[in-house]
Amino acid sequence: MIMAGENEYGKEGAAGRRKVGVYVCHCGGNISDHVDVGEVCRRIEKIPGVTSVQNNVFMCSDPGQELIMKDIRSGAADRVVVASCAPNLHEATFRNAISRAGGNPYIYEHANIREQVSWVHHGAAATEKAIRLIAAAAAKAERLEPLTPIRLEALRHATVVGGGIAGLKAAIDLAKRGVEVAIIETSPFLGGRAAQLDRLAPSGESAAQVISELAGRVLNHKSITVHTCARIRTYQGYIGNFRIGIGREAPGGSGEWNESGKKDKPAPARGEFVPFAGVYAGEVLEIPEEFSIDTGIILLATGFKPYEPRRGEYGYKEFEGVVTLPEFIKMLALAGRGGDTLEIGGRQIKSVAMIHCVGSRMIPGIHEEDENGRLNEYCSRTCCTATLQTATTIRKTWPRTNVFEFYRDIRTYGRGQEELYAEAARASVMFLRFDPEEPPVVGKSEDNDGYALYARVKDKLTFGEEILAPVDLVVLSAGMEPNDVSDMVAMMKLPVGADRFLQEVHPKLRPVELSVAGILLAGTCQAPMDTGEACAAASAAAVKASAVLSRGYVELDPFVAEVDGDKCRGTGACVQACLKEGALELVETLDGGEKALRAQVNAAFCIGCGACAAVCPEGAINVKGWTLNQYEAMLDAIVSDDLFEEERPHATAG
Amino acid sequence: MNKTGKILILATESCAYPGANAVGQAHSSYPANTYILRVRAPVLFPERFYLECFEKGIWGVIIMSCGVECPYHGAYEALAKRMDRVFAMMKQRGLDTQRLRLTSICTVCTRSFLKEVQQMNEIITKLGPPGAERARAGIPGQNGVMASGG
Repeated sequence: MIMAGENEYGKEGAAGRRKVGVYVCHCGGNISDHVDVGEVCRRIEKIPGVTSVQNNVFMCSDPGQELIMKDIRSGAADRVVVASCAPNLHEATFRNAISRAGGNPYIYEHANIREQVSWVHHGAAATEKAIRLIAAAAAKAERLEPLTPIRLEALRHATVVGGGIAGLKAAIDLAKRGVEVAIIETSPFLGGRAAQLDRLAPSGESAAQVISELAGRVLNHKSITVHTCARIRTYQGYIGNFRIGIGREAPGGSGEWNESGKKDKPAPARGEFVPFAGVYAGEVLEIPEEFSIDTGIILLATGFKPYEPRRGEYGYKEFEGVVTLPEFIKMLALAGRGGDTLEIGGRQIKSVAMIHCVGSRMIPGIHEEDENGRLNEYCSRTCCTATLQTATTIRKTWPRTNVFEFYRDIRTYGRGQEELYAEAARASVMFLRFDPEEPPVVGKSEDNDGYALYARVKDKLTFGEEILAPVDLVVLSAGMEPNDVSDMVAMMKLPVGADRFLQEVHPKLRPVELSVAGILLAGTCQAPMDTGEACAAASAAAVKASAVLSRGYVELDPFVAEVDGDKCRGTGACVQACLKEGALELVETLDGGEKALRAQVNAAFCIGCGACAAVCPEGAINVKGWTLNQYEAMLDAIVSDDLFEEERPHATAG
Repeated sequence: MNKTGKILILATESCAYPGANAVGQAHSSYPANTYILRVRAPVLFPERFYLECFEKGIWGVIIMSCGVECPYHGAYEALAKRMDRVFAMMKQRGLDTQRLRLTSICTVCTRSFLKEVQQMNEIITKLGPPGAERARAGIPGQNGVMASGG
């Protein structure tokens, strides 16, 4: 069954005379403790077309790679299969080894016999499965063609969407590397949510100072253009060559235009920091305008919004004196510093309850879904530290104001954050722990005890004792939710996770890239992060972007659709099935002197999904490197028992 | 040689394939009759591919996709529609549609992966080789296997 030959999916099967080298890794015993590598090699040698079978303790080591390179150089192999760990770890390593030996990196196929064999199966069954998977990889390798990466010119320009701390940091880093930058910000201010804070945890730096410094550098940099009150309206193009349409108009909503910018007050000066709004970037339009920007990279830094508790959640919007942490931070910043008791709005605050995990770590069946049936099941990560910092500030500034923290778990995960927890404890913040099934109850105090509210909880730290804290104020540590970017998600076909944040390609290996080439992520549009993490992500995205743009061109994996001109009959089925606008079209061509319609791929637009390949009645279109013909050959290899029949001679190619 | 019926798993490179690797990293054992092929998007495969799998001796096929989180916008929806047609074709050929399953597996969905594999193993153990259900129903076929790959 393992043989080359034409089938209905395409012509590649006619190859047959290719020389496949198979290199089996022991992975220091990770593989060879469960898979009989000697037996694997003996069986694989029987495959027609396999010309070299070798094994090594670590194929990824220099001596291991040298085995491949030697075979490529000598001509012993012109197709390569490495059977080792998962391909995301070393596929690139082995492709590079082939390139260094003068081969084409796309003549490579990987067989995953560690994560998907030796770590999950044992004994003879593991060995048999390894053999079948390697045979399948060899069958595919025999049908691989050398490919050339797609090279496209790239504009040395980046567009940063969002003028928060991540957007500002990314813009500065890009400009420093000689890239022209445009910032698109919906509000008239720079600084985003960070500008609405007082002190940044855990360092205690002034948010105003940090934002003022970053925004000042942005506004004064000759390579950065700031477009405030602006939104992306249209989008087209591809990595290196995007064109985005921008609409600018005077802000209308209260969320975008804070009291400092209203027309009845004089506009702040350009570059002036307006507390809890940000740095005014100048010039608010009276008349809307539209224009377009040509850009090479789009970097999304669209940020987050605080969770808004529903009415009645811990008494929110039901009782006066129940506020969210962002609201409270603002109150606290405006509160007078004299006296030993906190005073807000002329009212003495003798006792504060702070409740953690509001709108975060929600559990189906316990927490109430929003109107769209959604729950924030993730941890917002930053609220524990922010709450502890606020509690410590209260205790240190107004020592006669008591603070009760009602928490499920304290997650002070970053550098300096655990110290903040210890500091809060030393400052006599009272900690009470609750189960999500039995959250604290906030109510209006009916005792004449001088407190407006109470917060009652079954405290796990005292083995379920019911504790009632009389309080003047309840602060809800509201979690983070991604800003609504559904217009851009639809326009740019952006992947969104189940948590509604934008989803990177891989959290570790490609953490700031989206699956749409040329669109990068920075900051809290991707996941809850603190300002330090958001800036780190922004810098990473800026480096990634400038690495692409500084070369002046981009190289893409050539895994795009390809039309076999001899087979195409111009049915148009592929064009109809195509999922990416502009990737496929029917063009008029000459066929034997007569005009005929034929499918044509625009490689820059094609996403390589293969939707076209599935519908072509002629089998005339395929995704390069991932063809139906190759899958068919892999299927044949998996079901074939030829390698396991000792006596019977094997079928030969042809 | 393992005589258990084979299960072919088409696993997306963005979600399910790393999900299967995560099962390996956890050293969670599962039956070795499972053969995972890495795919960019399962929307690549035409209806006939699935029928050929059964014709060639695969007892069960699990498409482990990214679901609605598919990085290829619209691909999952197109695939779901195609599955309806494949199920109809399977019925026409007397094949139990439980042999083919479309599911979503994320990069860390290790429990779901194991559950899907276990369930498909239970199904193929109950059904036997492809075509056995037709033989049981008294519909003639070629060697107990369906006559045409479509």
